[in-house]
Amino acid sequence: MESFCTIALAFLLAPLYPGIILKVKALFAGKKGPPLLIKYYTLLKLLHKGSVYSTSTTFVFRLGPLVSCAGAMMILLFFPLGGISPIFSFHGDVIVLFYILGIGRFFTISAALDTASPFEGMGAAREAFFGTLAEASIFAILILFYRMTGALSFSDYFIGAKSISLDGTAGALLLLVIVSLFMVLLTENSRVPVDDPATHLELTMIHEVMILDHSGPDLALIELGSFYKLFFYSAFIFLIVCPFNAAWGLFNLPVFFVGISLVYVAIGLVESGMARFKMNLVPKFVLTSLILVSFAAILTMEFIK
Amino acid sequence: MNIFLLSLAIIIVGGTLPLVTCRNMAVAKGLYLGVTLLGCITGLTALFSTSANLLGATWSWSWLHSFSLAFACDALSFFFLMPIFLICPLAVIYSFAYFDKEENSLRTAVSFFCTNVLIVAMALVTVAANILSFALVWEIMSLSSYILVMYNYEKADTRKAGYLYFLFAQAGAMLIFAAFGVAFSHTGSLQFSEFAAIPAEAKLFVFFLAFLGFASKAGVFPLHVWLPHAHPAAPSHISAIMSGVMIKMGIYGILRVYFLLASSDLLIGQVVLVFGMVSGVLGVLYALGKHNLKKLLAYHSVENIGIILIGAGLGMIGVAKGDVAMAGFGFAGSLLHVFNHSVFKSLLFFGAGAVIKKTGTSHVDELGGLMKRMPITGRTFLIGSVSISGLPPFSGFVSEFLVYFSAFNGLKHNHATLLLIILAIISLTVIGGLASFCFTKVVGVVFLGEPRTDRAAQAGEVSRLLTLPMAILAALCLAIGVFPQSFIHLAFAGFTGLLQIGSVDAAMIDTVGTNLALGSRLFLLIFFTVLLFRKLLYRNKVIAKGPTWGCGFTRGTARMQYTGTSYARSVVSFFRPFAIVRESKVQLVKIFPGKTEFHSRVDDIAEVGMQHGLALPLLTLLGKFRWIQHGKVQLYIGYIILAISVILLVSFI
Repeated sequence: MESFCTIALAFLLAPLYPGIILKVKALFAGKKGPPLLIKYYTLLKLLHKGSVYSTSTTFVFRLGPLVSCAGAMMILLFFPLGGISPIFSFHGDVIVLFYILGIGRFFTISAALDTASPFEGMGAAREAFFGTLAEASIFAILILFYRMTGALSFSDYFIGAKSISLDGTAGALLLLVIVSLFMVLLTENSRVPVDDPATHLELTMIHEVMILDHSGPDLALIELGSFYKLFFYSAFIFLIVCPFNAAWGLFNLPVFFVGISLVYVAIGLVESGMARFKMNLVPKFVLTSLILVSFAAILTMEFIK
Repeated sequence: MNIFLLSLAIIIVGGTLPLVTCRNMAVAKGLYLGVTLLGCITGLTALFSTSANLLGATWSWSWLHSFSLAFACDALSFFFLMPIFLICPLAVIYSFAYFDKEENSLRTAVSFFCTNVLIVAMALVTVAANILSFALVWEIMSLSSYILVMYNYEKADTRKAGYLYFLFAQAGAMLIFAAFGVAFSHTGSLQFSEFAAIPAEAKLFVFFLAFLGFASKAGVFPLHVWLPHAHPAAPSHISAIMSGVMIKMGIYGILRVYFLLASSDLLIGQVVLVFGMVSGVLGVLYALGKHNLKKLLAYHSVENIGIILIGAGLGMIGVAKGDVAMAGFGFAGSLLHVFNHSVFKSLLFFGAGAVIKKTGTSHVDELGGLMKRMPITGRTFLIGSVSISGLPPFSGFVSEFLVYFSAFNGLKHNHATLLLIILAIISLTVIGGLASFCFTKVVGVVFLGEPRTDRAAQAGEVSRLLTLPMAILAALCLAIGVFPQSFIHLAFAGFTGLLQIGSVDAAMIDTVGTNLALGSRLFLLIFFTVLLFRKLLYRNKVIAKGPTWGCGFTRGTARMQYTGTSYARSVVSFFRPFAIVRESKVQLVKIFPGKTEFHSRVDDIAEVGMQHGLALPLLTLLGKFRWIQHGKVQLYIGYIILAISVILLVSFI
C-alpha cells in the first residue's frame, strides 16, 4: 500500500521539480521567473490541444512519445522512492530497466527521422551518439555497485541487507559515482552543458529539435516522460548521497521528497554558471564520467577482497 | 534417428527434383517447395517427438572398407539442429517467390539443389562424431555454399566475393584439419570422444588451431573479411541461411572442440572473450560506416558472433574458475543468442531482399519512405531491428541479459579476470548502444521519411510468399521476448551433461526466466495503458495534416534529409583509427562554382591490413617464382620425376 502511494505521489509531483530549476536560473539572472507550477500549466495546455501531423510521418512517429513515456514510468515502479520498497523488484532489474530506457531512445530517434527534416536527423544523430556513451557510464556504475553490494536491483542497492552508503568500507568511491552520475544526468536529460533546453537555434539543439514536430497530447507525453526520467536520475543521486535511514521510519518520505529538490537546485546552479559545450567536447565530457567510474571499479580490487 | 535420416533423404530428393524437371519452371519450383518443406517438417518431428529419440542416438557406416563414418546426436547437436530445420524451410518458401525469372531455370535448379545439399550438410556437421565424417560434411557444406554465393556469376563483384569466400573457407578448413591432425597424433584414434585424453599443453594447441579455423567460418574479427563481400553477392534467402545458420556452424565447432577437450585452462576463455569483444565492437562500428544494406547486415553478423563469443568466453572462464552460475549463464546466453540471431538476422535479410527486389538498389541513401509503400516488410523489419539491437521486450534482449548475468556473476573474481569482465560488460553496452544507433539509421533512412529517389517512391509491397516468412519470424522474435522461460530452458538443455563442473540450479534458471517475463510483460502492459490513455486524450480533438516544420525554410526537398552517411559520421570518426574514413569533396569556390561533390567511405582495418600485410607481399614473393611455370610440358614431367625421386630418397634414407 505504502509503495502504491509513494509511486502515485512521485507520478504527481515529478512535474513540480523542473520548476525549481527555472526558479534558480531566474534568481541568478535577477529575474522573477515563471511560477513554480509552470510545468503543470504547460501540460494542461498541451492536453487541451489537438495535433498536427506531418504528411511524411507514419505510425512510428506516434510510437515515439508512447514508448519513451512508458519506459520512464516503468523505471520508477522499480525504484525504492524514499526508502519504501518498490512495487516490483528482482535480481537483475537494473539491466532490464536501462534497456527499457534504451528502447525509449530507439523510438524517439526513429520518430525524429520519420519527419524527413534535416534538423531532426541532426538531433537524432547526436542523441544516439551521446546516449550510447552515457549508457556505458551507467553500466560502469552498475559494475561498481555489484562489486560493493553483490546486488543487481535498485531495492537491494538502497534498502537491501548490504545497501550502499558513503560511510561503508568503499564509501569514498561513491564520491566518484556521484560526480559521474550527475554528469550522466546532465547528458541523458539534455541539460546544460551538454544540451540547452532553452536555446533558440535548431542547429544547436539535441533533444528539443527531435521533438519539434510533436504537438498536443503527444508532446505532453514526451514532456511527462522526460520529467519522470529526470526525477529518476535525481532520486538515484539523492539516495546515494543521503541513503534511507531505518530509524526514521516514514519520516524518510518527506526527507526524500524535499531533499530531492536539492539535486534540481544543483542542476539550476550548473545551468546558471555554465554555457553549453561545443558539440565536439560533449563526447569527452561523457567519457570523463565513464573513466571516473571505471577507475573506481578497479580500485575496488583493493577495498573488497 | 531413422526419422531424422528420412528427413535428410527427403530434402536431398527435394533438391534433385528441380534438376530433372527444370524445363518446366513452375512444376520444378512447386515440387521443390513441397518436398523440401515436407523434409524439414519431418526433421522438426524427429527433433521434438519423443518416439524418435534423437538424443543419444549414434550410427555409423564403413566407408572405402577401411574407414568408418560415425555420427552421434547429443544435446549440443540437438540445439544447433533447431535453427537449421526452422530457418531453412522459411528461406525455401522465400526463394519460391524470389527467383521469378524464367530464363534462369537451370541456374535456379542448381541453386535449389545446392541449397538442399547445404541444409543436409549442416545437419550432418552437427551430428558428426569422428574426424573423417566431420571433414567430409564440413567440406560439402563449404563447397555447396560457395556455389550458392556464385549465383550471379556474370558479375565481377560476385566472382570476387566467391573467390574470397572460397579462400577463407579452405584456409579455415586447413586449420581445423591441422588441429584434428595434432589430436590424432596424440590419440591415434579418429573418434572425437578420445580428444579428452590429449596432454594439457597439446590441448591448448589443438584448441587454438581449431578456433582460428572455425573463426574464419563464423566470421570472427579479423577473419570476417569474406562475410561483407559474400552476403551482398548472394541471393537474399541464401544470405539468410548463410548468416542465420551456416556461420553458426563455426560457433558449433568452437564449442564442440572446447567440450571435447574438457580443458579448464583460463587462457582459452580469456582469448575467446577478447576475440568476442573485438568482433562485437568493431563489427557494429563498420556496420555503421557501411551504406549497402546487405553489407551492413553482414557486419552485424560479425557483431552478433562477437556477443555469442563473449557469452562463450565468460562460460569458459567460469569453468576455469569453478563458478557454476557464471559458466552456465554464459554458455546459455551464447547458445540462446545463436538461436535468436538466426531468427532475427534471417528476418532482416528477407526484408533487405524484399527492398532490393522492389527498388533495385541496396544503397540506403537512395531509399526512404518505404514504410508507407511496403507496410508488412517495414513493420517486420522494424521488429527485427529492435530485436537485433537487444532491446526488451523482444528476443535479442533475453540472450544478452543472460550474458550480462553471467558477467556480473563473474565480477567477484579479482585481477585479470575482473578487468576482462569489466571490459566485457562495457563492450556489451557499447555494442548494444551502437547497434541501436545503426538500426535507427537503417529504419530511419530506408523505411521512414520521404523517398530519396524515384525508384523508392514507386516501390510497392512484395508478394505474400515473401512476407509470410518475415511475419512468422517477427512473431517469433516477440514470442521469445514475452515468453522467455521455455527458451532459456532450451538453451540450458543445449549443454546438459557437457559442463564438467556441475549444472546450474534449476530454481535459479526459473527465477531468471520469470523475472525477464515479468519485465517484458509489465512493459507491454504499461505501454498499452499509455496507449489507451492517449486514445482518450485524442477523443474529439482536431487532428490536422501539414508539411514537416522546416525551421523557417519553406522549400524543403527529400534530398535535404539526413542520410545514413551523415547520421553515422560523428560516431564513426570518433572511432578513428579503427575505422579508416576516406572523404573527398569538391566545395563551392569563387563566384562561378562548379558542381559540388562529396564522397565518403569507411574501410575495414582487417581488410586493408590483410591486403597490405599479407596478400600483396605474398603475391610479390610468389611472383618471383613465376619462371617455374613456363608452359613446356617436357619440363613439367621433369619436375614430377624430380619430385618423386626426392620423396623416394627421403623416405628410404
